[in-house]
Amino acid sequence: MKKNKYLFVFCMLLAIALASGIFTRTYLGLEKRQRELSGVHVVTSFYPVYIAALNVVGDSKNVTLANLSEPQTGCLHDYQLTPQDMILLSGADLFLVNGGGIESFLADVGKAYPNLAIAKASKGIELLEEGENAHAWMDTRRYSEMVQNIATALGQADPDNQEYYQYNADQYCEKIQELTEQLEEVRAVAQGKPVVILHEAYAYVAQELGMQNMYCLNLDEERQVSAREAAEVMEKISTHQVSVVLVEELYGKDLGNAIESETDAKICYLDTMVRGDYEADSYLRAVQKNIDVLRGILEHI
Amino acid sequence: MDGFSWLQYGFMKYAFLAVLIITPLLGLMGTMIVNRKMAFFSDALGHSALTGIAIGVVLGVGNADISMMVFAVVFALLLNQISSKISASKDTVISVFSSCSIAVGLAILSRGGNFSKYSGILVGDILSITPEEIIYLGLMFVVTMVFWLFGFNKLLAVSLNRTLARSRHISVFWMENLFAVLTALIVMVSIKWIGILIINALLILPAAASGNISENMREYHFFSILFSMFSGITGLLVSYYVNVATGPAIVIFASIIYFITYWWGRRNHV
Repeated sequence: MKKNKYLFVFCMLLAIALASGIFTRTYLGLEKRQRELSGVHVVTSFYPVYIAALNVVGDSKNVTLANLSEPQTGCLHDYQLTPQDMILLSGADLFLVNGGGIESFLADVGKAYPNLAIAKASKGIELLEEGENAHAWMDTRRYSEMVQNIATALGQADPDNQEYYQYNADQYCEKIQELTEQLEEVRAVAQGKPVVILHEAYAYVAQELGMQNMYCLNLDEERQVSAREAAEVMEKISTHQVSVVLVEELYGKDLGNAIESETDAKICYLDTMVRGDYEADSYLRAVQKNIDVLRGILEHI
Repeated sequence: MDGFSWLQYGFMKYAFLAVLIITPLLGLMGTMIVNRKMAFFSDALGHSALTGIAIGVVLGVGNADISMMVFAVVFALLLNQISSKISASKDTVISVFSSCSIAVGLAILSRGGNFSKYSGILVGDILSITPEEIIYLGLMFVVTMVFWLFGFNKLLAVSLNRTLARSRHISVFWMENLFAVLTALIVMVSIKWIGILIINALLILPAAASGNISENMREYHFFSILFSMFSGITGLLVSYYVNVATGPAIVIFASIIYFITYWWGRRNHV
């Protein structure tokens, strides 16, 4: 009986170890297939940077582009690197980040991989509230500059294709330019109007539209609104006669609904473009959608 | 898959060392915690880490580890003291303490909407293991081993019957409090990389699984430590290759072992 038990425990542990070994091996096999294309390995820190890099890389066979494992929360402020991220970075030649303090783990990465080239897409771009609010991609003009920075960084990492990247970047910036022009039209209607924003990223939108930012309540993941804060938002809306509130749908929906029923302000649900599908034109589509939403609401005030 | 490629990373070496040191300890302490029906107690201890950090933040202590440990020890002693005096059932008292400390911790840490900075501690982060931490872990290991060697029989007597223990000139007060403090310290040194949400699972599961199939104290300890170390090492390696957080991976393995042993124990009427 006793012997039997030790045998059982041994078999159980062996079986679990084998099963997890096989599982891991299949998982790695699937991953390896994707990574086999060699060349310059570029890793991006999160979604907007990835999409921008995707457009600059274009059809270049010499570059493999990967994003850090997707944080479910959207923005990166509280992101912890997973072991998988560390492996990804250990094989990378270039790490493209947004910069401006969003990647709080950057110091750790620098320490762990002193030889890894890190390029900041927001380099040389003037940010609102330096060090606090680096959501520069929300502004189409700043985003174009980020695309150019990324093209420069990629050109340095892969000098043979430098011209190709520059060409792609220019092509992409032209498309962004069209959106900027549309935003100019919206600006004509929106300029000078007071606005309240429920996510700091919209400070860039407000600036691009020339709107007066009266109040910012930074709602994001893991953030509960206290009753006082909600009341404060309502109060600002009524004292400044704010007619438009920019809200992030995922985290601000409840407060948005409350504002809609308590005040006369109109709610614009805008995409912060930190998550979405991994297609090259998803940024363009998201901005277009934001413009449509803004138009729909601003023209009826 | 290169079997040892993970060893080239400093953080994995530290994590591996930490697992080797801490899992036997958790397995060992777990047996006594399960015996004494203190599962809820250790859970509350884990939650007190939040308050500990919060107090550290308020007082401006640079190293939150210290405030966390000090608070956990105080918390454990207080909890022990009150639950032995109050007539309400023990789990009620513990629950009150636990929710109170979570509330205080959350309230302070979420001030100004900044809780996301600390959310890492909820699920743990193996990158937070530093060589310094390994030294702490090693110290804890030695202290616990010494306590176990000299105090285990007394502690067992206390947990079986307090009156009996007193009649044998065993200081019930000292044994109980020492055990509580030790548990608090072990939970605190490992909580940052295992995570508040699951640290208790690691204390309870191996011992509970071992209880499913053990017939005597020796077996109970042996299997508990074996299961604990096994799930620790497999969990760490699998999490490294498959890209999931390490704490949860370890707990999943421990749970699988629990369910299999449960089934086996039922069938063989252990």
